[in-house]
Amino acid sequence: MIDVQNLTKRYGNHMAVDNISFEAQAGEIVGLLGPNGAGKTTTMRILTGFMPPSAGSAKIAGFDVMTDSIEVRKRVGYLPERVPVYPDMTVRGYVKFWAELRGVKNARKQTDRVLEQVQLTDRRNTLVRNLSKGMRQRLGLAQALVHDPQVVILDEPTIGIDPQQVIEVRESVRQLGEKHTVLFSTHILSEAEQVCDRVVIIHKGRIVAQGAPATLRQQLQPGGHLYVEVGGADDAHARRILESIDGVELVQPQGAGYTLRTRDGLDIRAEVSQRVGGAGYSLLEFRPTAMTLEDIFLDVVGRERD
Amino acid sequence: MSGTWIIFRRELGQYFASPVAYLIAFAILLITGIMFYGDLNYAATIRPSDPALIPNFLSFAMVFCAPLLTMRMLAEESREGTLELLLTAPVNDSAIVIGKFLSAWFFYTVLLALTFIYQFILLAITQPDLGHAMCAYIGIWLYGGATLAVGIVFSAVTENQIIAAFLSMGVLLFLWFAELVGQIVTNLDIALVIRQITLQGHFTTSFAVGLVRAEDVAFYAGIIAIMLFIAIRVVESHRWR
Repeated sequence: MIDVQNLTKRYGNHMAVDNISFEAQAGEIVGLLGPNGAGKTTTMRILTGFMPPSAGSAKIAGFDVMTDSIEVRKRVGYLPERVPVYPDMTVRGYVKFWAELRGVKNARKQTDRVLEQVQLTDRRNTLVRNLSKGMRQRLGLAQALVHDPQVVILDEPTIGIDPQQVIEVRESVRQLGEKHTVLFSTHILSEAEQVCDRVVIIHKGRIVAQGAPATLRQQLQPGGHLYVEVGGADDAHARRILESIDGVELVQPQGAGYTLRTRDGLDIRAEVSQRVGGAGYSLLEFRPTAMTLEDIFLDVVGRERD
Repeated sequence: MSGTWIIFRRELGQYFASPVAYLIAFAILLITGIMFYGDLNYAATIRPSDPALIPNFLSFAMVFCAPLLTMRMLAEESREGTLELLLTAPVNDSAIVIGKFLSAWFFYTVLLALTFIYQFILLAITQPDLGHAMCAYIGIWLYGGATLAVGIVFSAVTENQIIAAFLSMGVLLFLWFAELVGQIVTNLDIALVIRQITLQGHFTTSFAVGLVRAEDVAFYAGIIAIMLFIAIRVVESHRWR
């Protein structure tokens, strides 16, 4: 449904997007993951037919964004990062305007349907300027869905809204996957993990990793992690004890304690507690830490830098 | 429904929902009303009423009104980010600009039509020169279209409505004063050239005195076409930034 091949976007000497390729099948939810300025928005703008790429190709439902731009635009629903609104229009008028502009046959009926879907029906006669931020986000979603597009592109849809609304938005993105192909960007990794079938991590315009969240985690972060805080020992001493434990690959200071990276599938908890106790010190804190995609991401991005 | 028509309708709706448009309409009708009253008083004793009274006034008023009527059009879209959505909707860039221009021109036409009331009053009390008046109205209608097209260009180049308004006022004022310069320059050739390129020069000496000349119509149509072309290109340039 989405087919991106060797896509490149140059601004003068700056490479905003550097030779990226990825695909999304029909009904798939793909997350574009990366820090700010990684090239997520640029990639999305190219896919929506807003701007042309410098090189490479991007196709939506078989139509090229350069040569069949209008056909592409008919098939894409787009929600930019900052929800674009006409403050002086009513909720209903706003959605209906976009429906008509995108050639929806039964604009009135579709508008009512989509307002129902995003739960804004009771606000349909409210002026857009009076909506709360979360409602605006839903309104933005409504305009992106009103023409029942094959592909929905959402640029950071969970930014700047309260946690309850974030959960709701994530839930609705999940549901979109039943009927549409969804491409959405985020810099929150746990979000990508919860919502996406597949994640594409980009950094400085390049793809650094892609795959299902679980696979990515496995690939990028072998082994387990434990957090240990030792009481009564000075730094060097505690470190030495921890490093001498069989199966510990890395000891990293973190906060008041240490994070241990252990060999895959090895349970060293008993060993740690015995050794620390045996040396006459006490264990103040001791817990397994699952490395989040966040850490993996920082890890990958950090490696890129080196 | 074509994109131009949908954009046109939305923009028109914005006019009738915006205080600026009502204020401009109010101001123009108030001032023209006072002028008409004055002219009538004066003309009652010594001369026939001036058929081009209102159009002549509007030729100056549009220097200020056209920027106010158009400043919002593209600047606001750009600032609110809706331009990005418009540019990813399945419509041509030209449909966006032309739809907006037509709605501004339509609003102006309605405003102009409201001032016909003075002609009806004249009809009731005397025998006005309707042919002359119609010429002047056709002229000021085209003239207004050209000033609105200039306003659209400057609304497209900036995100800031105030800046857009000042820029287009500057240009329109320049064109207006240039016409005055053309009147006092002693070198006839230079004077002619100046008059040929000003908005005013194609109005005061032709439409306003009861002439409809093809060259003047072509001039205003040309200005509108060129300005819209520039505005479309400027909107398109958002894709390359």
